[in-house]
Amino acid sequence: MLKNYIKIAWKVLLRRPFYTFITLFGITFTLTILMVIASFVDHLIGNHYPEVYRDRSVYISRVKQQDSLRQSTRISPLTFQFLNQYAASLKSADKVGIVNMFNQANAYSNGQRIKLGVKYANPEFWEVARFDFLEGKPFNEAHIRNRDNVVVISDKLRGQYFGGNGPATGKTIEIDNERFRVIGVVKGVPSTRPMTSGDAYFPYTVSKSNYEKQGYIGSFVVLATAKTRAGRKAIEEEYAEIIRRIPKPLEDDGMRVYHMESEALPYLESWLSNFVEEDGVPKFYSALFLLALVILLLPTINLVNLNISRIVERSSEISIRKAFGAPSSTILWQFVVENMFIALVGGVIALAFTLVVLTMINQSGWIPNAVLVINFPVFLVSILLCLLFGFISGVYPAWRMSRMPVADALRAG
Amino acid sequence: MTKHLLKLIWNKKRRHGLVIAEILVSFLVLFGLFSLVLYNGQNYRQPLGFRYQNTWALNLNSGSDTAALIGKVNQIVGKIRSYPEVMAASLTESNTPFSMNTSNRTMEYEGVEIVSDVFFTDFDYPKVLDINILQGRWFQKSDLTSTYRPVVLNQEAALRLFGAENPLGKVLGSGENPNRVVGVIGNFKSRGEYTPLEPAAFELGNPQEHRFSACLIQVKPGVTAEFEARMMKDLGAMAKGWNLELSYLANQRKSKNQIATVPALIFAVICGFLLLNVALGLFGVLNLNINKRRDEIGLRRALGASATGITRQFVAEMWLLTAIGVAIGLIFAVQFPILHIFDLPTSVYTAALFLALASIYALVTVCALYPSSQAAKIQPATALHEE
Repeated sequence: MLKNYIKIAWKVLLRRPFYTFITLFGITFTLTILMVIASFVDHLIGNHYPEVYRDRSVYISRVKQQDSLRQSTRISPLTFQFLNQYAASLKSADKVGIVNMFNQANAYSNGQRIKLGVKYANPEFWEVARFDFLEGKPFNEAHIRNRDNVVVISDKLRGQYFGGNGPATGKTIEIDNERFRVIGVVKGVPSTRPMTSGDAYFPYTVSKSNYEKQGYIGSFVVLATAKTRAGRKAIEEEYAEIIRRIPKPLEDDGMRVYHMESEALPYLESWLSNFVEEDGVPKFYSALFLLALVILLLPTINLVNLNISRIVERSSEISIRKAFGAPSSTILWQFVVENMFIALVGGVIALAFTLVVLTMINQSGWIPNAVLVINFPVFLVSILLCLLFGFISGVYPAWRMSRMPVADALRAG
Repeated sequence: MTKHLLKLIWNKKRRHGLVIAEILVSFLVLFGLFSLVLYNGQNYRQPLGFRYQNTWALNLNSGSDTAALIGKVNQIVGKIRSYPEVMAASLTESNTPFSMNTSNRTMEYEGVEIVSDVFFTDFDYPKVLDINILQGRWFQKSDLTSTYRPVVLNQEAALRLFGAENPLGKVLGSGENPNRVVGVIGNFKSRGEYTPLEPAAFELGNPQEHRFSACLIQVKPGVTAEFEARMMKDLGAMAKGWNLELSYLANQRKSKNQIATVPALIFAVICGFLLLNVALGLFGVLNLNINKRRDEIGLRRALGASATGITRQFVAEMWLLTAIGVAIGLIFAVQFPILHIFDLPTSVYTAALFLALASIYALVTVCALYPSSQAAKIQPATALHEE
């Protein structure tokens, strides 16, 4: 039966090319936009290079300090000293990477200035964030012990500073008037991943990292992995206990602090805490849902409208089927299937368009190093969206059609 | 005529309900788009009020170094001023124009309170940024010892605090450290062209006491990266262990402006596709409807209606439908200025409303004209014969 319905749907598609074009245009464009958005959201929050363990990681990205009346507030990343003492020793965590946020430096090559994002990290950072090493190796405990001036650079910096794609390992690079030995080259990270994106990665012991600063207000954050997804909860609780046990009030960086908050959070929560104070995740998903709804609304009304106007074309077919005893539900079902089939056809075209759009975004350099992809979750969401779209736009016209009185319909045919 | 058309519409209210809904939503989408574009456009027309070309911002971050910082900062700016390639340099705090940092404070004059951006600067700030002083003067040496702390306001701040009164000499706030206004400058839009006019106040930091954390540098046109590298090397040697971050104001301006333009552009592209979709849909629906009303048209033609009369009837029907949709849309749209949902001026909303109205009518007319003219071509004989 299903095969029959689809066959009929195909014939209907071919019968009036102009209307088919309008229908498919609406479906294709709507789904393309939604898929591109889905892919972008996945790019922002999913498990991607080099943070491939995100779904079983927690992030400690900030500390919030307030005075006794909670009138003045300051929010900042933390100091290396604090994180190294308390976060690095978290028993429930598997690996704990400590790295700074937002530092920049300059290098000069052939009369050109190269602006660099610099990262100061502990050796375990390389085990939490799985970088692709194009050559060389990451730094290790021995480099930290000897306070070696070594650096791991991105492929982009290698090209800019040394030219070409030849090996850079062992060569010397001058950054902010200091000389470092290159020990590794990694594939670049898009700037949308602020914890791991950078051009030059130093051991935290180099002179400018400011890692000896005491207190809480600093520039470092933590990426910690758990053994399993569920293991994240234990890290969150253990860290919360550490923060709770710090005696307050305390004196820190010129401020008397009565209330201090710092949390280990999954990535999405941690990222959203930069924008919204509370309930970031539900708000984020409702905003996404609302956006999808707004984008879906117009094309859906449009399609319903068009479908209803095209009832007449099919009235003879419906009335004959009904006259021979087909119940309304069968007719309803047939048209829903038909619409979902058309939506799927539109979805396939949309998939192709999405690939083109994503390739264009990737190549435009709009987000450097970004690789937007349609991966499995995005694909699944897209298929669901297709079916949903077909269902919504099909069900009302089909319901109207199925209730058509037989006599009227036969006469009109 | 209108009454008759309304009756025709009412008889088919179910089907027309969807067309109205479609027009309603399109109208609101257009209203949103035009509000955004007009708001940005209106802001863009207000000049920045300062020059960003050939201007660099150097952030002086002392890191773990804590010894004799003020002396080192002054040495650094002295060195910068000594280069022949540098036209002027001024010490300031890290909230340089277009940077991510902001600093603000509440200012009060006779019960009027405003929140204003505050910039701590020295004597050379207007020279570096090419700021035009409209009234009064910039800071001078004697200000360092005066009882009142001098302050220079931008026009927006002066307007909000004093209205039409002359701001010069007015004393702001009370307590230990009141400010006295010594000068007024024009615009100062430190967040980029697409932001609205915001109040800004400039205070004098004493180079011997105040801890400046950034330096604005204006260089001669055509200065190369070779000079920059040399300067950074010299400065790096003077400030061991410091993080010196150099950025070009021109680049920072570009990325600040993109925060406004990129979302607007994406929104516009999506709206464009949505409307194209709607236009095609309306066109298709009208075509089908007119086919269905062939007998009616045939009868009217037989009774002597002209071809233009038929066209006019169908276009007028669409216009009426649009009027209904827009009327409902207006109920939603006027809530924005009334409830101040977004902080946009009412003039922007009004202009956006009219533009949305005009474009929705243009869209509908274009979609209606072709099917209606097709309808007018129907020959009464064939139409009635089919019946």
